[in-house]
Amino acid sequence: MTIAPTVSGGLKLLPEEEQDWLVLFKIADDADGDLARHFAGLMDEDSMWEEIVVPELDHEFSAQRKKIMKAVFEARDGAEEGLVIERKDAEDWYGALNQARLLLEEKYRFGSREPRDPNEIKDSEMRSAYFRNDFYGTVQSLLLEYVMVD
Amino acid sequence: MKAVEAPVKKSETRSREKTDKPWQVVVLDDPVNLMEYVSRVLIRVFGFSKEKADVLMMAVHERGRAIVWSGGREKGEMYVNQLHSAQLNATLEKAE
Repeated sequence: MTIAPTVSGGLKLLPEEEQDWLVLFKIADDADGDLARHFAGLMDEDSMWEEIVVPELDHEFSAQRKKIMKAVFEARDGAEEGLVIERKDAEDWYGALNQARLLLEEKYRFGSREPRDPNEIKDSEMRSAYFRNDFYGTVQSLLLEYVMVD
Repeated sequence: MKAVEAPVKKSETRSREKTDKPWQVVVLDDPVNLMEYVSRVLIRVFGFSKEKADVLMMAVHERGRAIVWSGGREKGEMYVNQLHSAQLNATLEKAE
């Protein structure tokens, strides 16, 4: 996969093989969890977080996932090569990738911002998740550097 | 004859407000959120300068948590809601 900034201030993702598309499709799976309830767990019961805030966050997080999946499907089936993340969509992309990374962390405990040797990960599913997590983080960094600028 | 004045409730209220401890918005560290992103969220939600946001972000990173705001409960909840919306671990605590 090649990723490059565009002249219009976006980011272009150019999948080069089927595996690259699969990784993009996998974002929604990785991001599909109960993140809103995780945040509610940080609040005391008096705050009514479960009743009031969780449904709102659920809706917001779900909308981010749906939006980026629609973009991936359209890019895959479209005439243009690759997928462009425009500036107006960057927050949603960042958010969906963040959901995926937060939930992968919850599941696998990759554990830190420090790089890790993937060869030490024996479980193939976990190793695959590690690479996806790394890829998602790289896209997020590029979004911050090139697209989500003031 | 001078009328007897009713007790002044106002001063009691003021005195209680003075001793009431504020609520604090606390941001907690996590191994996922990128440091630059955390600073950006603090700037967006609280209107901090880049310098102040970076100092608080580093405090979260190095000490595991940082108090980023204190005041009334309702406003604190609004801020925590915005931090959760940005997917940062945050909570509201009564000041000790």
